[in-house]
Amino acid sequence: MTKPRADKVLASILGNAFKAITDEMSRTMEMTTRSPILCEAKDFVTGLYDADGRMLEQTENLPILSFSLSPVCKHIADRFRGDVHPGDVFFHNDVFSLGNQNNDVAAFKPIFCGDTLVGWAAAKGHMADIGGAVRGGYNPNATEVWQEALRIPAVKVYERGKLRKDVWDLIFANIRLPIVQEDMRAEIGACTVGERRFLALIDKYGFDVILDLEKQLFEASRKMMEAEIARIPQGEYCGESTVYYDGKNAGSTYKIRVRVKVAGRRITFDYSRTDPQTNGFVNGTYTSSASATVLTFLQMVNPDIPHNDGMLQPIEIVIPEGTILNAAYPAATTFGNHLCPPNADAIIRALAPVVPERVSAGWNQLLCSLSTGVNPHRKDTYVDILFMGLKGGSGAMDSIDGYDHIGMIDASGGVLDQDYEMFEQQTPHTLIKHELLTDSAGAGQWRGGLGVETTAGSACGRSTSSAAKARRS
Amino acid sequence: MKFRIGIDVGGTFTDLFLWAEDGTVGSFKVLSTPEDPSLGVLDGMRVMAEARGMAVVDFARATALIVHGTTVTTNAVLTRGGARTALLTTEGVRDALEMRRGIRERQYDNRFQNVVPLVPRHLRRPVAGRLDFRGEEITPLDLDSVRRAIEDVRKDGVTSVAVCFMHSYANPAHERAATELVRAALPDVFTSVSSDVLPVIRFYDRVSTTVLSAYVGPVLRSYLQNLTARLAGAGFTGVLLIMQSNGGLAVPEITERTPASTLLSGPAGGPRAAAVFAKEQGRDDCILVDMGGTSFDASLVRRGAATLRHDGEIDRLRIALPMLDIVTIGAGGGSIGWIDEGGLLRVGPASAGAKPGPACYGRGGERPTCTDADLVLGYLDPEYFAGGRLRLDVSAARRAIEQHVARPLSLALHEAAAGMYRVINANMANGVREITVKRGLDPREFPLIVAGGAGPLHACMIASELGIPMVIVPAAASTLCATGMLLSDLQHDFVRSVVGPLAEIDARRLREVVAEMTSDGERQLAAEGAREVEHQLALDLRYLKQYHEVTLPIARELLTRGDWDGVAKAFHAEHDRLYGYQLAAEGTGLELINVRVRCVGRTRRPELPRLQRGGRDASRVKKGMRSAFVPETGAFADVPVYDGHRLLAGNVIPGPALLERTDTTIFLSGAYLGEVDEAGSVVLSAQEVQA
Repeated sequence: MTKPRADKVLASILGNAFKAITDEMSRTMEMTTRSPILCEAKDFVTGLYDADGRMLEQTENLPILSFSLSPVCKHIADRFRGDVHPGDVFFHNDVFSLGNQNNDVAAFKPIFCGDTLVGWAAAKGHMADIGGAVRGGYNPNATEVWQEALRIPAVKVYERGKLRKDVWDLIFANIRLPIVQEDMRAEIGACTVGERRFLALIDKYGFDVILDLEKQLFEASRKMMEAEIARIPQGEYCGESTVYYDGKNAGSTYKIRVRVKVAGRRITFDYSRTDPQTNGFVNGTYTSSASATVLTFLQMVNPDIPHNDGMLQPIEIVIPEGTILNAAYPAATTFGNHLCPPNADAIIRALAPVVPERVSAGWNQLLCSLSTGVNPHRKDTYVDILFMGLKGGSGAMDSIDGYDHIGMIDASGGVLDQDYEMFEQQTPHTLIKHELLTDSAGAGQWRGGLGVETTAGSACGRSTSSAAKARRS
Repeated sequence: MKFRIGIDVGGTFTDLFLWAEDGTVGSFKVLSTPEDPSLGVLDGMRVMAEARGMAVVDFARATALIVHGTTVTTNAVLTRGGARTALLTTEGVRDALEMRRGIRERQYDNRFQNVVPLVPRHLRRPVAGRLDFRGEEITPLDLDSVRRAIEDVRKDGVTSVAVCFMHSYANPAHERAATELVRAALPDVFTSVSSDVLPVIRFYDRVSTTVLSAYVGPVLRSYLQNLTARLAGAGFTGVLLIMQSNGGLAVPEITERTPASTLLSGPAGGPRAAAVFAKEQGRDDCILVDMGGTSFDASLVRRGAATLRHDGEIDRLRIALPMLDIVTIGAGGGSIGWIDEGGLLRVGPASAGAKPGPACYGRGGERPTCTDADLVLGYLDPEYFAGGRLRLDVSAARRAIEQHVARPLSLALHEAAAGMYRVINANMANGVREITVKRGLDPREFPLIVAGGAGPLHACMIASELGIPMVIVPAAASTLCATGMLLSDLQHDFVRSVVGPLAEIDARRLREVVAEMTSDGERQLAAEGAREVEHQLALDLRYLKQYHEVTLPIARELLTRGDWDGVAKAFHAEHDRLYGYQLAAEGTGLELINVRVRCVGRTRRPELPRLQRGGRDASRVKKGMRSAFVPETGAFADVPVYDGHRLLAGNVIPGPALLERTDTTIFLSGAYLGEVDEAGSVVLSAQEVQA
């Protein structure tokens, strides 16, 4: 068969082939990682990027992690320009060079066709430990990044296919749990799967054709997003929400203020009037906050727009440094991902008056419960996040009830409960109860989604977790 | 003379494929009887007996084998028409079934809703008693709480009970004790027990699969009882086998133990037959499309075999049993054309089914269907539908299209019919995209195998839409799944958990487990009359501290020798192939989780007839000309009509043309050239389009 032309059909095939690849990378992570945070709850993302780091497609199990991969990929492509070689692998988590959260460590692998850099494969997941003062990484007493985590600015752990053993050892000498090494190997494996499949596509269609098609895919997604924005009445709309408690000062509150500007085919989210950062760890990083903005807005538009760089081009996000959503160096920021629900609330409030049929009521706020200790069954140290307890209901929509037990909005139903039997096999916990909580939804003509009641016992005593509530429409 | 019959009961038609010892074959179709599908089967037996010029009782007595695929369980789930089912489950986790681990498949779609669970909350009854993950008892089973639950659900009038407790894969004692009480108290109620259905770790997979089994169990059981009785009443004394979702066959008693294994019984026979006809053209891969009266199925054959999945779903409900990977959409001959709120023409998913059927059947149907459009466009001969057994009413078809499509859209009648034809073809092309493009595959690289009575009229246009250069219409296209059933083998899959570091696994103990499963399989296969038996062995392995396994097929000798190094070597390679890395150099040990045995009993496959060779010229079987719509020109033209039964291998027919058979009509558009091969398939090749 002769090589096909770069037509519209092939563009659609290629777009779906990219998605099939990132899905396969995601499956690799799910099937090979050790930490239940990854292999059970799927607190990770995978993606493919072009040579300059522009997003081609992603599998966004936890969207709050997702929209930081492309900025970091661009950062690495730029910073290492001329020094990227076949067989290199980079690690990165640094929140002051566009990482979203310290525990979310990414692997990036450049893809070469001959000597030409043709793209990048990346995987990022929430690691069970990342050094710093406390096991598992959530240190409410932290005031600076070094009390939270080991910083990993973009660093090569493989160069031209050869492990840089000294660099590897330096990193993992500063991380408590040996499974983190294994889980980072799984990320590299996922990138290799992405690389193999991407090269197979090049082999089949030719790189020139693919390059041409990538442009068509960006263009198509950009147009779809522009058409969605054009359906929102032009103007400026303000919304505000409150962050309760910074983990340090009792009774403290902070305001998130967003001004949404819809002008022509562009939309801008401007957070300039948001309150200053805290002196604790309840601070956002730029990319975690921008991810929250993007994922909230994606719920208000056509859900079938293919996710690539074109989709994001009409969206501008302004978050000045020094605000609670973009803390300045060297602030502590571990809780930043979890500012997503109030951020979403501010956006929903801004846009509800003009597009009431597109917004949902607010989702549940976060009830994060991380447990760690020595597992007497397995005689090793474990870290787990109780995902089943933190998932509440989604907000109701005009003429539709909320969806039970899929929140927080950061995950939007992409992160799963641990399977109950796996949970008991993997941790020293016994699940006593995990059931929908009667009447936990906000009432109204259209009710919110139900939250759950979760009770778990542990080999070291009994502990109780969350009852998450959604609100009414 | 001995006969073998494949029977595929669909939503509208019951398809039958008859193979006789003398090597002759026949395809037959009768209307399905949804209120009791066994009536349609009997009707089919009558039609076949008649065709052979035999009395029904003589024909039934001469039938040695019936292989049956059914959609009764599928429909029970899709229409929520299964048994009123209760679930006895461990206290504290009764909502697992409904919560589905908290997933929303469309992450950014706030209008996307959860599925309705098969067992409502008030019938999900918690009982006290608890095991840990090693199967050791934490709290004894509270028999009184079981009795109370049974009493409650008895009052609710359930006819089926699923039993699924935490960690029963490690120790089935609690489930068995509770099930005994259920069976004693409710002897007429169907029971499905998770440690029998799927004795492996992962609670959600197990509870969902067990509940599906319980939900469809009574439906399947009463259907099979009915069918067996009716067939026996007709004189049948041969072997009845049921098609399972994994593409293998089993006797009815075995499918009743795990009814969820029949959820894709109907379409599961198709890929086997598709593979045979694709092979005739030297192709190992193909796309199979099957357009019946109600629905359109698309599936893939790779390397000569159906594509299976182990993480399957039906209506977003998990079935963790191996099953055919298939995409189904609501498009068929009975699909109804209508105008939506935005004023756009739609066809389907609603179907007129067998009753009342398309308007042209003259059985009370008033809505215009795809078949009505096909008739108005000249593709069907009103005097020769189903070989002339059903006379089609053209004026009724015209009236329906005129009233419900043409007038609201201000179109001429023929424009409206052509519009319906285009819309449904585009819908079906999207179904093919789903199974290929969505999986990153290019449909243009695969031949399209066409099945179903309505399929051959639409195949050219589906292929054109996707740029597929080769279409194969097998001789038995209208009953392809039924044909595939006769070509399938008996098959039983077994799995048992044997957990521990591989290096510490006692090879003798493992051999015993394998021997137990193998002898279970052999016993079943012997009862089913298998001739040649084959066992395939696989181990579910992982690196220490991983939580998911790789299913690694292994040679029996490795197990016999206890050659764990050989197993490890194969595992490292497979892990690298699947996941991009391996940990051989790191010295990471392996852990064994499950042992799997697949027992296959080869059936004696019937030889399908070969067609005599003729020349290229087919004019001797030309029946005449008919005015039909030619999509390439957008106008009607006189199109030659050929007798599809008298074609010879090597005959070449240029499009546009119509090839009529009693069970189907092939429409060859102007863009394709047809050639007949020795298996009797019409192979359509795309012609270079003149610019």
